[in-house]
Amino acid sequence: MSLPSGTFAQDYAQDMRLMRTKAQWGSMGLLLVFLATIPLWASDSNLTTATIIGITIISVHGLNILTGNCGLVSMGHSGFMMVGGYAMAILSAKVGLPFWAAMPAAGLIAGIVGVLFGLPSLRIKGFYLIMATVSAYFIIHWLILQFRDLTGGTDGLSVPTATFFGLAIKGKATYYYLVLVLAVLATLVAKNILRTRAGRAFVAIRDNDLAAEVMGVNLWGYRLQAFFIGCVFAGVAGALSVQYYSYANVEQFPFFDSVWFLGMLIVGGMGSTSGVIYGVLAIKLLQLLATKIGPSLAEVVNPQAAVGLSLILPSLAIILFLIFAPRGIEHIWGRFRGYYQAWPF
Amino acid sequence: MRRVKSLWAILFMIALALVVAVSGCGGGDATTTTAPAPTDTTAGSAPTDTAAAAEPVTLYIGGTFALTGPYAEDCAAVLAGYQDYVKWVNDNKILAPWYSDKTIPKNVTFDVLWGDDALAPDKTLTIYDDLKSKGLLTERVSGSPEGMALKDKLMGDKIGATSQSSSPAYLNPPGNIFTNAPIYTDQMAAIAEWFLKGWTDTSRKPRVAYLTADSTLGRNLDIPEMQAYLEKLGYEFVGAQYVPMVPTAPPTTQLAWLKENKVDLALGLMINPGSQPTIKEAVRLGMGPDQAYKITFGFGYPAHLQVFAPAMGEQGNGVVVAGDFAAWESNAEGVAFANEMQAKYRPNDKVTHVMYLCGIVEAMTQVEALRLASTQVDPAKLTSADVLEKGFQQIKDLSTGGILVTNLTYGPGDPEGVDEVRLQQVQGGKIVELGSYPLRGIVPK
Repeated sequence: MSLPSGTFAQDYAQDMRLMRTKAQWGSMGLLLVFLATIPLWASDSNLTTATIIGITIISVHGLNILTGNCGLVSMGHSGFMMVGGYAMAILSAKVGLPFWAAMPAAGLIAGIVGVLFGLPSLRIKGFYLIMATVSAYFIIHWLILQFRDLTGGTDGLSVPTATFFGLAIKGKATYYYLVLVLAVLATLVAKNILRTRAGRAFVAIRDNDLAAEVMGVNLWGYRLQAFFIGCVFAGVAGALSVQYYSYANVEQFPFFDSVWFLGMLIVGGMGSTSGVIYGVLAIKLLQLLATKIGPSLAEVVNPQAAVGLSLILPSLAIILFLIFAPRGIEHIWGRFRGYYQAWPF
Repeated sequence: MRRVKSLWAILFMIALALVVAVSGCGGGDATTTTAPAPTDTTAGSAPTDTAAAAEPVTLYIGGTFALTGPYAEDCAAVLAGYQDYVKWVNDNKILAPWYSDKTIPKNVTFDVLWGDDALAPDKTLTIYDDLKSKGLLTERVSGSPEGMALKDKLMGDKIGATSQSSSPAYLNPPGNIFTNAPIYTDQMAAIAEWFLKGWTDTSRKPRVAYLTADSTLGRNLDIPEMQAYLEKLGYEFVGAQYVPMVPTAPPTTQLAWLKENKVDLALGLMINPGSQPTIKEAVRLGMGPDQAYKITFGFGYPAHLQVFAPAMGEQGNGVVVAGDFAAWESNAEGVAFANEMQAKYRPNDKVTHVMYLCGIVEAMTQVEALRLASTQVDPAKLTSADVLEKGFQQIKDLSTGGILVTNLTYGPGDPEGVDEVRLQQVQGGKIVELGSYPLRGIVPK
């Protein structure tokens, strides 16, 4: 973290603080106020977008821990979201668990499933691990469709309205606040995980797994931990998503989402907690922009060509970032901030 | 440095204020149209009486279309149907050529609002809210998962929607998604009944299996009630095989399984990119009504013969499709109407896809719902609840000029519009009508 000149830490605790200056506290406060006031002025459509962005941020934090920090590239993240989503639906609709109990349980179940599919990660890595996680997605998809009595098969499952100690989480604004709180919490947890022993081990494994092992890092244990933590995030995001639609269906979690999640990490800056937020915002807002301008553009070109922008714009962004800024928005922002702080020198 | 930080804070505040101001301008969730309300229309009076004096009102129809993904071709044609129909209604101020009595108030014009949902529920929700805020009092849905993601919200918001999908889940419990094609299970039941009529072997029961798309669409028929109904009819149910929605390799294994299990009738729900390679491979394996191994393939409504037959020619002989629209070659008044609109509005860009007819039917249904509601409520003050309760749910016996097999009738708890299932078959490379069969209500409403 680059700090203004003259900011010194006098002890370890101070050095580890996330917020070091009053300006940082001030900007964080302003940001939170801004986020909290969104339901007061945003349209329903913008509020839905904000809620979906929040849910995606939670999910991509998980992928960032797994892929960005531990170097385990996963293309099955959408499948783990599916596990969390269905766990939420089954626990609340069939078992009758209240929302506050079903959601963490859904995260936990997704984490356990993630560990199961992460077991091969000791033996395989790189391309082979990618293929294993792709398979994980399709196995999960297939299993959910087979257990029709439990999951509703292709019909899906209707999910009752969430209640939190008697209060129904019904309106868009209420749900937005719930997602906002959880997204902030997820960001804090993700940021803090990186500052723990496990977080440092993840980075060591990512940078050079052999060197890490020689230095005493338990590769197998930490890789499984990364899978567990990453999938807990995915599970919570899946649960929130299903609860938001009041309905669970396998097609809410398309395989292609996993690809977009990786794209968000590339655009935002892989391995960085704030990069996750930038990446999700960039890709989601580009998709939204294309969806919004599609109908107007269709006045001059074929409608199918016009709406194709929703695929082309984010894809183009990913390609351009890979070529010109592989370290993502986070790095660009860091350089800009550094330049600005040093100005006029 | 402190001054720099202050500058940042000021810039942030300005940006925040701008965002609030800009969003505030476009925000708000209108439940009525955007046009100014007329001042001289009294409650309960028919708007046609006051039309001359009333302010212009724009009513919107439309909703979400899956213009990217496997349904792109279907939805592009549906959208074209919507757009042409709206132009025609605005020009002629009646519902259809055969409905000179169903007039549109002169001050009312229609426009289409749409967005591409890309068959993704999250996009569907965003577009739904966006269009609602722009004054759309109706909605449309593309695929079943998008419809199911919207079902509860449509009920909560009291908004009626038309749909090109016919999932059984729309009926159980019935919601506000009004279909114009029979529910998929009813389509399959019609094919099964038709096949049984021609079954002459008294020594054994005909053997039936599912050969269907590996997707929500395809698995819509894979429910216990469907199997029970087939067995009640006198079939021996063998099992199910799944083919990818858009196969990347010929479904040889699945077809060979049908052969090994001596299946006589294969039922399924597929789109054309699935049904065409499947039947091509079946012919290659010598399977079909005119082939060495006798088997009939029956598909549901998205496997349009209008697309299938011209592409397959005689190779597609014997394939039956249930629940589709009238053929372009038919003499139906509705098809002539569609051709007339295309000649007028897109003379050099004719849409040949049969889902153009679906667009006309859906647009007509939404316009009729708005028109019916407008006879009781000032069009400028219409709410979505008015359009649902005084519009959609009051549509009775609405003729589509033969585009659909029967007229459309809806009501509270009755979102399935047609009463029969049309069957068509490829014979000699051409589409032949096999008649229609009643709905069997396999999925309890």
